Amino acid sequence: MQQTATPQAAASSSAKARFTSPFDITTPEGAEGWQELYPYYALISPERREMEDEKLWFFDGMHSPAPLYPFDTIMTENWWVAASQMSNRVWPIPLALGIDHRIINGYLYISPNAVTDPDEVAKRAEHFNARAGHYYENWDTIYDEWVTKARDCIERLKVIEFKPLPELVPDEQVFGHRGLYSSHDLLTAYNTLIQNMLEMGSYHFEMLNLGYGAYLTFREFCQEAFPGISDQTITHMVSGIDILLFRPDDEVRGLAELAVELGLDEVVLANESPEVMLAAIGAAPNGDKWLAAYEEAREPWFWFSTGVGYTHEDPVWMNDPRLPFTALRGYIKALKSGDDIRRPLDEILDKRTQVTAEYRELLPTEDDREAFDGLVELARKVYPFVEDHNFYVEHWHHSLFWEKVRELGDLFVAHNFFDDREDVFYLHRHEIYDALYDVLIGWAVGTPPRGEVYWRPLIARRKQIRDTLCRWSPPPALGVPPETITEPLTIMLWGITPETIDEWLGVDATADGELRGVAASPGKVTGRARVITDFAQLYDIEDGEILVCRITAPSWAPVFQRVAAAVSDVGGMMAHTAIISREYGLPAVVGTGFATTSITNGDLIEVDGNEGIVRVLDKEA
Amino acid sequence: MTQAPYILWLDDASAPGNALLGGKFASLAHSTAAGLAVPPGFGVTTAAYRHFMTATGLAEEAARIRARAPHMALNEIKGETARLVEGIKTAPLPPELDTKIRESYAVLERRTGVSETPVAVRSSGESEDLEGASFAGQYETYLWICGVDAVIRHIRACWAGMFGDAVLSYRVDGENAVAAGDFGMCVGIQQMVQARAAGVMFTLNPLNGDRSKVVMEACWGLGEGVVKGDITPAQFTVDKVTLEILDRKTVEQTETYCFDPAAGEVTLMPMADERCRKPCLDDEQVLELAKLAKQIERQRGAPQDIEWAIGERGELRVLQVRPETVWSHRETKSLVEKGQSPVNRVLARFAGVKVAAKAAQGESR
Repeated sequence: MQQTATPQAAASSSAKARFTSPFDITTPEGAEGWQELYPYYALISPERREMEDEKLWFFDGMHSPAPLYPFDTIMTENWWVAASQMSNRVWPIPLALGIDHRIINGYLYISPNAVTDPDEVAKRAEHFNARAGHYYENWDTIYDEWVTKARDCIERLKVIEFKPLPELVPDEQVFGHRGLYSSHDLLTAYNTLIQNMLEMGSYHFEMLNLGYGAYLTFREFCQEAFPGISDQTITHMVSGIDILLFRPDDEVRGLAELAVELGLDEVVLANESPEVMLAAIGAAPNGDKWLAAYEEAREPWFWFSTGVGYTHEDPVWMNDPRLPFTALRGYIKALKSGDDIRRPLDEILDKRTQVTAEYRELLPTEDDREAFDGLVELARKVYPFVEDHNFYVEHWHHSLFWEKVRELGDLFVAHNFFDDREDVFYLHRHEIYDALYDVLIGWAVGTPPRGEVYWRPLIARRKQIRDTLCRWSPPPALGVPPETITEPLTIMLWGITPETIDEWLGVDATADGELRGVAASPGKVTGRARVITDFAQLYDIEDGEILVCRITAPSWAPVFQRVAAAVSDVGGMMAHTAIISREYGLPAVVGTGFATTSITNGDLIEVDGNEGIVRVLDKEA
Repeated sequence: MTQAPYILWLDDASAPGNALLGGKFASLAHSTAAGLAVPPGFGVTTAAYRHFMTATGLAEEAARIRARAPHMALNEIKGETARLVEGIKTAPLPPELDTKIRESYAVLERRTGVSETPVAVRSSGESEDLEGASFAGQYETYLWICGVDAVIRHIRACWAGMFGDAVLSYRVDGENAVAAGDFGMCVGIQQMVQARAAGVMFTLNPLNGDRSKVVMEACWGLGEGVVKGDITPAQFTVDKVTLEILDRKTVEQTETYCFDPAAGEVTLMPMADERCRKPCLDDEQVLELAKLAKQIERQRGAPQDIEWAIGERGELRVLQVRPETVWSHRETKSLVEKGQSPVNRVLARFAGVKVAAKAAQGESR
């Protein structure tokens, strides 16, 4: 694929093709005024038309597949600064500035800024070498410190509380001569919550670019030495076997074994509803032992999002155990038919050692072998962070964070601002500060606050706008493609390379019934498509169907047991989907751009995970 | 001292590496001994050739011509060698040699269970051992030869082939390759594989020298077209380490080399059947071949060039194994700049310095 892509790239880049201008995107009927959901700085601006029109904006369906909720922009706004500052102001990366963001029809579009002036590159390189060099040299120590900081941040998040304001402030605030009261505590709690999120958001990117960079360098070395080597083979040489992302699923495997051991397997298998199942276990002999183990496994491992953690909508195992319980039943059935459900760790590790040694032997000179040894070692050193930060940040911290925001929603309900705790997500975080102040005013003054009549119609309108935007299909890219793409995160995380862009430019999604993407996990399978555009549709999946989605999440593990292959619109070889698909041995093609819009439920499709091609064999009438 | 044998079977204990078999057949004997599926056969040894040349008095003329070879213009050679070539083709075989060949072919007929069993008659020269000289395509191979008289006729043709103009003028590093010695030739007689598909594979990528690949070219029918180049073959690239098929270039094949009973020889015939639209190898066969290539390379300790065929019942046969000569003799160049720390390599990468040069470029010598 790599080889054939090059001439195409050369041919089409000479044509000076471009994507639709962001200024030519029209608002779908019924979503007029969508801009009010988002802050002014996130919108495409006519005052800067020339600059905005000349950039490449690509749809970040990987992190934000759906129209953004106003509150949820805290996540995208966080990395707009946090990831960008690392590249631009902290290291600074010689070739890359930050990644710009815009919200268009509710969807997130991003645009990497490159440094092209050689003098500027050289100047930045000097600082970069000293600063990044320090991180690489002390990686393990810094990572230990990082884990401590991340856990501390999570602990401080856990203790933040939102409680409706009391009739009278508590005695101790008076008799302790504190001089500060419940109103002050509420604002502080909110500020602390936001600060805490932005703090974790900063840690998130502290080591990430460097981690990806070391991996990318190793990858490039392999691609030059062994032209055509597959991405999954390179990843296989580097990736760990005991990464935290596998831990929640491992816990479920352990619980399955325990259920069989305690003779509770029939109770688990007989009850589909989580509540009913837990109650039945509680009533069974030995049930208390299993429940104790369950509670222990849950904290923290069930703070596991079913999405990528960037939106409050993704159910979390902790509150919605349907997914892990489906997995539990699957593992129990496997155990009862005599299967070994533990991952074969020694086997995986042996294979990794053997593959690495064989490639090493094939290098031309001793100098090359030395470079290979050093690069694979460095890549393996940085990789635990690259893989594990995901659990600490996106799963554990973000899931807890959304829970806290819901508690805040309860407060607004208690103060008669909203009807539903979930309405809180229809306000931007800056608007929440205003609304909270409005709560304080009403409480302090004794006049009903305007918020009691102000927010409900606004929220209703915003819901309607967002629902309309959900039905709009964001094009993969807008604006003008750059000469080159060098920003490492763009390549690593989104899988966007000059070839991808040419692919998009030349695309006629269904003309030849074929979609190209990244070959993320090998194998070739034919089956009926199950297109998932909403998390709830996951429960409709039938065994042997092919999952077609914008993006999958690692915690969809139970779904991976049932499907025959996975196809996504977005993602690169390091996308969570890709990692898990390889682990489950399912063919996967990611980053196809158009799978969910060009494939419909029930289409007969062929997924070729060796070549990165999805073919529509038979359209469902 | 015992008389050197005129006939040596591929599966004879003394055959592997035996100089009497010439380069190609000694190598095949190695492969046979290593357990590879080589079709059965025997070599009419270099001793047999020398005995023939001496007994018929042709040896002196051969030596005279070889000595003159470096001084002859290409267009002179044919006239100069005509008498010698005619002699090789017609002079009576010494009776004991004639008997040996007839006996051996009869044994092969018994072993294969087919009378008049079709064989390949293949030149296997001593000169193939020359450093850097494969004499690729210079020596003759005759396919589908049936009956011992025809076999003997083609053995003579192989002997005569050593005095063809291309061989006599073959140069290695600017030096005439044959002038230097009194090279002999073994002629191999080997059961013909009725190939469903056949081809060639390298245990490296011949385009760039990348040793992590097995690259194979294959076609329907006999592999002649792949070697000659008059059939566009399908191409498969396999990762040698992980045994993944990385690339498939299939073609619609319209003609195939096969035995034409009417003409009594192997010819290029139109493909009539359904096969031509299908890939000549399925994934399973590609992987089986790649594993075989990996095994052979490991046994030989260096990159190899392997000819193979798959019979009508799907059985895989090794027809020839020889060392790869292009990349193996090229100076190996490092991909990286020497002595940098891995951290420095990564730091430089962030500033736009590529970490490695392309794997060996296709520069020619």
